[in-house]
Amino acid sequence: MTSFKAEASGTVLVDEDVIEARDIVRSFGATPALRGASLRARRGEILAIMGPSGSGKSTLLHCLAGILTPDSGEIWFAGQRLDSLGETQRSRLRRDRFGFVFQFGQLVPELTAAENVALPLLLNGTRRVHALAEASFWFDRLDLDGLQGRRSGELSGGQAQRVALARGLVAQPEVLFADEPTGSLDSLTGEHVMSLLVATARAEGTTVILVTHEARVAAYADREVMVRDGRVSYGADDRSAA
Amino acid sequence: MIEFGIRLTLRGGREAIVRLTLTAIAVALGTWLLLTAIAGINAVNAQNLREAWLNSAPGPVARHQESAPSGGQGRWAGQPLLWKLQPDFYRGQLMGRLDVAATGPHSPVPPGIPHLPGPGQFYASPAMIKLLNAAPARELADRYPGHLTGAIAASALPAPNTLLIIIGHSVSYMHQQSGAFKITAIQMVPPNGCYGPQCAISVGIGANGMDLILSTVGVGLLLPVLIFIGASTRLSAARREQRYAAMRLTGATPRQITTIASVESAVAAAIGVGVGFALFFALRPLIASFPFTGAPFFTSDMSLNLLDIAAIVIGVPAAAAVIARIALQRVQISPLGVSRRVKPQPPRGWRVIPLLAGMAELAVFIVVGKQKTSADEVLAITPGFVMLVVGLVIAGPWLTMVGARLLAGRARRPGSLIAARRLADNPQLGFRTISGLTLALFVLTVVISVITSINAHQAPPGGVIGNDIVTDQISGPGSGPARAVPEPVLARLAGIRGVQTIMLVHADPLGTKLSFGSFGTEPASLVPCGQLARIPVLGKCAPGGAVASFPPEVYSLDIERSTGQSGKVWPTVPMTTQRVAAIGVQTIVVATNGSPTAIERARTYLIDSFPSGGIPVTQTEEFFNSDVTKWQRFAYVLIFASLAIGGCTLAVTVICSLSERKRPFSLLRLTGVQLRMLQQVVLLETSVPLVLSALVAAGAGLLAAYLFLNSQLGFALRWPGATFYVIVAAGLAASVLLIVGTLPLLRRMTGPEVARNE
Repeated sequence: MTSFKAEASGTVLVDEDVIEARDIVRSFGATPALRGASLRARRGEILAIMGPSGSGKSTLLHCLAGILTPDSGEIWFAGQRLDSLGETQRSRLRRDRFGFVFQFGQLVPELTAAENVALPLLLNGTRRVHALAEASFWFDRLDLDGLQGRRSGELSGGQAQRVALARGLVAQPEVLFADEPTGSLDSLTGEHVMSLLVATARAEGTTVILVTHEARVAAYADREVMVRDGRVSYGADDRSAA
Repeated sequence: MIEFGIRLTLRGGREAIVRLTLTAIAVALGTWLLLTAIAGINAVNAQNLREAWLNSAPGPVARHQESAPSGGQGRWAGQPLLWKLQPDFYRGQLMGRLDVAATGPHSPVPPGIPHLPGPGQFYASPAMIKLLNAAPARELADRYPGHLTGAIAASALPAPNTLLIIIGHSVSYMHQQSGAFKITAIQMVPPNGCYGPQCAISVGIGANGMDLILSTVGVGLLLPVLIFIGASTRLSAARREQRYAAMRLTGATPRQITTIASVESAVAAAIGVGVGFALFFALRPLIASFPFTGAPFFTSDMSLNLLDIAAIVIGVPAAAAVIARIALQRVQISPLGVSRRVKPQPPRGWRVIPLLAGMAELAVFIVVGKQKTSADEVLAITPGFVMLVVGLVIAGPWLTMVGARLLAGRARRPGSLIAARRLADNPQLGFRTISGLTLALFVLTVVISVITSINAHQAPPGGVIGNDIVTDQISGPGSGPARAVPEPVLARLAGIRGVQTIMLVHADPLGTKLSFGSFGTEPASLVPCGQLARIPVLGKCAPGGAVASFPPEVYSLDIERSTGQSGKVWPTVPMTTQRVAAIGVQTIVVATNGSPTAIERARTYLIDSFPSGGIPVTQTEEFFNSDVTKWQRFAYVLIFASLAIGGCTLAVTVICSLSERKRPFSLLRLTGVQLRMLQQVVLLETSVPLVLSALVAAGAGLLAAYLFLNSQLGFALRWPGATFYVIVAAGLAASVLLIVGTLPLLRRMTGPEVARNE
């Protein structure tokens, strides 16, 4: 992968690529979802994947995140092929180096908000006391103070998404994957969530790859790519090396 | 991860607690049933052991057969105990009468008493003492010479309500008693190992019968209980699986999810097991008081050994964990949810093979014939029954699928179409709902068919006869030579209120034999035709004679040997009534008006007048102690327990199913579908496989009963009577009512608030 630094004359300072998809093909039964999609994302970058409904953007995200394995093609992460790893290894990767924010939060209803945020650390074997302490830090940062003891059914949509965001960031992931993170929120709440997501990601140096069909959400990104008919076409502000 | 799983189970909020509680209650119920079944079997064995001392045999015995239970003393030292054990009856109740006489100070002492009663003394069980005090002396107490010396301790009694009396006599008196013998030590001989005249009375069920019951219980009861426990641990499985998907997204590995699922199921099951044990010990005294085997148990006999306890404590939670793991294999829990659920393969026709194999196994023994011993019989037929039961469970889904496809092809309304498609899509789930009831129906059909056929074979077309006739064999094998009956005795006997007529059965000096068809010939006795004519139910003389040949043992005039006693014509012999009146009497037959008072007073008077004879009995008392009667009681308990468990499984599975579908049903209601249609779907999904499986189970049960009766007992199947059809109809109706009872839940579970996004 290309790795370079540009001058401060106006060229955007970029770091090495952290994740890359090469000619990904994925079908569901007889229905092709991706037909040779290729994509790169750099460290610290916020990348928006856009496209019409059924274009394959969520499938591309899931392949990048190791949730789905492509039928052909390669996924590279930090110099390692992701698509050839086993399910257990990919699970550990999701736990330790990736974070997720999906449209419906996907919180565990039996756990409190604090326990949901601490879940990746608990799954990793971190002692409960330490995990909850770490989680508490994120409650302050994401305006969730006082909600630690509530369960998912007692949270509003925006609160639940922020708890999901905290859970996605608590393990200090290298890449945060967000699939329609504001899809179920009103515009005001959605903007609040996106502002927090972007600010936190930049502060932590986390790469964010988010799927959205809303232009106003994509506007938070450094770069947009378009997925159509299972292929990636790049927008005018594409800075990927040839 | 285990700690995390436990925390998730116990601290998951109100919904998790409700789920945990429901699962634990269901597992508790199943555990209680399991424990009761195991303890019941242990109790039967304990009961048999308690009774075993009564089967002591005459003569010297091997060391290992000797036993000295509490109160028992004495060794072979030339001082045997004279012993005569007989069954006695009072108003339909079986009593044990043991007449004893010590030949020296070291004669063996039966358990339960501190020393042997002397002449004029007797010991009685607590229940017997109570009865002696309550009953009129002329009906009962006058049979027993002497006075009460003490109570027999519980350790020597098979059951709390055992009626037993140990009467002391002089040695010279006992030497005159026919049927008395010498024993040199008290032996512990269980009922199934007891052969010969010393095996006079029997409480409970013999061990070979127990083997059959054990295998029947093991398959017919435990399998539905295990199915019920399995269904209980699957409560809210869909909800749990959604949670697992969220955890997978966060990075939980499949192994971690499996561990958490196993821990959740095991914790709920462990709590359920604890409650089940508490239920068992709380209800044990009540259960023990129920006469499953014809007699109640002592509460302490319903015991569990360490192995039993360990098997349940470890086995049930372990089984729940295994079931949870197996259930997870059927679904694909990915980080994106449980969306790519593995579609079960449609069941194939090979699934009926085990069912047919079970039939074939039983049919083989029609050719091979009856087994030599009871143990061989059990070994022979048990695999067949086990295969049938397992075969029903295996074939059930295929049958459900066939029925569902037929229904789908003919469905005219959306409700029936949805129900049929869902059943056809997942017939395994559809059958699992009613599997417990199917097994219960199979067991019910087999048991009632077999018992109906046995009872029909043993009774004449007109029913059991001679219930009002008391017969006393006062001489003959075991009772001494024929003797004269003094006129004053006959007069006093005839004077008892309720006694209608008396017939004397005399010895036959002519040596005549009576033919009993395929059963061969037996030496005959003689009866005056005039006396016989007054008891028409025993038959009549051939025309032209004054004296007829007649069986000496009237009370063993087996009903199965002849049909319709009133039609029996006994051949006459060339003898006059005066001549026969001078010949010694073997049996006295007393016909009464059937009132218990008349029967007991006649019996007491005969015992008192002819103490060396046997105990006078009526025809029904001859069959009182039959194994069929005892097994019938136990079988009905088994049937109702199976039906109850099946009903519980049905309820749990229906509730599970409703819970899993509350969101799609809720969305359907929001789009305008009427609640009534959804209720129709739920009702059809369960009732269609239920009716279909009921027909197959009943058919399989009838065939199994036919094969068993034919191969092992040698007679034909008699179709069950109205009781069977009533029980089946009631069972099916109760099941439908149970399903209908869950329908109000559907209204609550599919309200509009359920459809909102979480």
